[in-house]
Amino acid sequence: MTQMILCGRGGQGIVFLTRLLGDIATQKGLNVISSETHGMAVRGGSVNSHLKIGPFSSPLIRWGQADCLVSLDSSETLNNEHFLKQGGIVFENSSASSESGLYRVDASNMARSIGGIQLENVILLGFSIFLSNFEISLDDIRQQLAEGSRYRTREQNLAALEAGVRVAEALME
Amino acid sequence: MSIVTNDSPNLIRFLMGNEAIARGVIESGCALATAYPGTPSSEVMESLTRWKKELRYPIYLEWSINEKVAFEVAYGASLAGSRSAVIMKMVGLNVASDPFLSAAYLGVRGGLVVIVADDPGPHSSQTEQDSRFFAWFAKVPVYDPASPAEALSMTRRAFDLSEKYHVPVMLRPCLRVCHARQNVSMSGPLDPVTVGPFQKNWTKWAATPKFRLVLHGELNEKIKNISLQESDTRPRLISGAKESTLAIITSGSVSSHVQDIVVSDSRLSEVPVYKVDAPYPVNHKALQELVDSKTQTLVIEETYPVIELQLIDKTKVRGRISGHVPQQGELTPEVVERIIMNFSGVETEEMVSPTIRARRPSLCAGCPHRPAFFMIKKLFSESIFTGDIGCYTLGVNLGAVDTCLCMGASIGMASGFAHAADKTDNDQVVATIGDSTFFHAGVPALINAVHTGANFVLVLMDNNITAMTGGQPTPATDFLADGASAVPVDMEKLIRGCGVKSLEVVDPYDYRALEEALTTAKFFSHEKRSGVSVVITRRACIRSRSSSVPNIKFQVGENCDRCMTCIRDLECPAISFVKQEKIVQIDLDLCSGCGFCVDVCPSQAIAAWRNVK
Repeated sequence: MTQMILCGRGGQGIVFLTRLLGDIATQKGLNVISSETHGMAVRGGSVNSHLKIGPFSSPLIRWGQADCLVSLDSSETLNNEHFLKQGGIVFENSSASSESGLYRVDASNMARSIGGIQLENVILLGFSIFLSNFEISLDDIRQQLAEGSRYRTREQNLAALEAGVRVAEALME
Repeated sequence: MSIVTNDSPNLIRFLMGNEAIARGVIESGCALATAYPGTPSSEVMESLTRWKKELRYPIYLEWSINEKVAFEVAYGASLAGSRSAVIMKMVGLNVASDPFLSAAYLGVRGGLVVIVADDPGPHSSQTEQDSRFFAWFAKVPVYDPASPAEALSMTRRAFDLSEKYHVPVMLRPCLRVCHARQNVSMSGPLDPVTVGPFQKNWTKWAATPKFRLVLHGELNEKIKNISLQESDTRPRLISGAKESTLAIITSGSVSSHVQDIVVSDSRLSEVPVYKVDAPYPVNHKALQELVDSKTQTLVIEETYPVIELQLIDKTKVRGRISGHVPQQGELTPEVVERIIMNFSGVETEEMVSPTIRARRPSLCAGCPHRPAFFMIKKLFSESIFTGDIGCYTLGVNLGAVDTCLCMGASIGMASGFAHAADKTDNDQVVATIGDSTFFHAGVPALINAVHTGANFVLVLMDNNITAMTGGQPTPATDFLADGASAVPVDMEKLIRGCGVKSLEVVDPYDYRALEEALTTAKFFSHEKRSGVSVVITRRACIRSRSSSVPNIKFQVGENCDRCMTCIRDLECPAISFVKQEKIVQIDLDLCSGCGFCVDVCPSQAIAAWRNVK
């Protein structure tokens, strides 16, 4: 059972991550339910997704129940912290250094250097999955990204994922 | 994207609620579907177009001009013998209410399902209205799905019910179903169903008031039979123990929160939860017997007390009417948890609301609406700005939208302000409306304004798409929902045909041309007082396929004297003031290269930075 909040600003690719993880969970035969933000808020406003794997009916996570928070924007971390359970972990896109229970990767700057800001979500994903104990493995994600239809996007996403993983590996050393 | 690549049965996919509904439409043998876009309903039609293509499914699809027309097209197809569906958001049903109520009396031939998405919260709407209440008002049965998987199943049941009783049937998904995703089992599509060709019978299909009375009696009989004979109108146990002296009755998306809360807490797991799949028309007897057999019953439903009001004896009922459930706002899991804890007598800790500093939405960097609003604000500083529904409602951020009522109201209200001007000091009015909203409900209002000689400026912000809801075509585009070719309607001819004498078309990125066009309109309507003038600001939405944004980015140079004009008057998300360094900065990730800020800057401090690859 996992309950995960993904958050950021409209346009940062929160829905892409939610859908990617949900597709993989579904292919693995798991029960998965999620909820996402659409409409006016997406115009640069605050957005978040709830993703729940396990025997859940509701697509929303209650306050104090999320296992982890994957945040593409540090100010959005503050807006979503109340969803975290005690001891829940935060994975954040930020240039600051990591602390206990709060792991940071400078995904925006790394993304610019490997092909464009739009890759920051996949970098953060690689970073987060390496550091968490989750129903979905890095190999599951590699496989799913490798099935992407457009060559350039596929190669860039895979490179972004590995870039995130390398930062996480270095952090653990 | 969850894609179905073949039509083999029993596929499981991670589907959005709106995709699941579309799948249900295809699995029901539906031959025609119409819609007008609106959050949270828009993805139903988009999913239908994908499935039509991928499965080569023979269905006619259209984004209609508005919900009323969409309903009438679907109703016509039903009378022709086909199964048909019409999709909209709840405020769209207000627009379609005329044919909706009348169709309930006349009845249907091919199954007709009216899919209306509600937005408790509201997150992206003007109201929190409950479409189940509207269904009750119209005497139309309604299904209230709890999840994407159930939305698929209920779509199919709705078609069957509609054909069995010859009534339109509503499917009412809430936002938390529409934009939830879940692993959903799918079946193969059903070949389009037909009930045979139309049989002429004016006493039914063109009934005069005398026959309407007969039809009303028939409708009442249908509703009574549905409530008595269909099991979906009865409360069914979904968790807990029947023997408990308490009960919770629930319906729709909020029932999923109720179930998770009760199941996950051992202090609550005995409380029986009953769900009603079709909350109108309920089986009164079954519902009342359940309530009478308990000491207390809690009714939790979104957003109005539809089940609660259908209970004859409410003395042992807690809900919205008794004040135990809030009368407004979305029933989020935290709210529901508290209501259930209080109802069950379980101690709860005080709930501390988190401090949330949500980022406000803003027009995109490079949005062609921004320069239009900037110039309106600059040239019409004394005017009243009547606004409308779409991305450009965000003109409030630039101080260039003062009112927002409903689709098309910018023009009708501008007339009201203009005609009242003799009695007030507000004699200068500028209305702003988008292209899709103009077609939807603005055209009759414009004819009315021309006819009555109202003096105001109308700025028609034409980005060639319905942008807010994800880029659907309008009547001016040359393609239909599924990409087939369409006859584009000529906007200028339409406006001239409405009787408008002063019409300018301008590229909003062109500072001087924009200034000139709006000045001409101001002279015509506000100074000469010669009637309505229209300025079309035309440039494709930067998010659309036809967008042409220059391959260039801009930066702030040393000439910047921090006058803040760009930040205050342009409100571009790419431009910000960095407090620590006290400089104005352009975020190169966000800058789209429109270059309008170059003309806005009084110190000529902004210049092209570099070409981007």
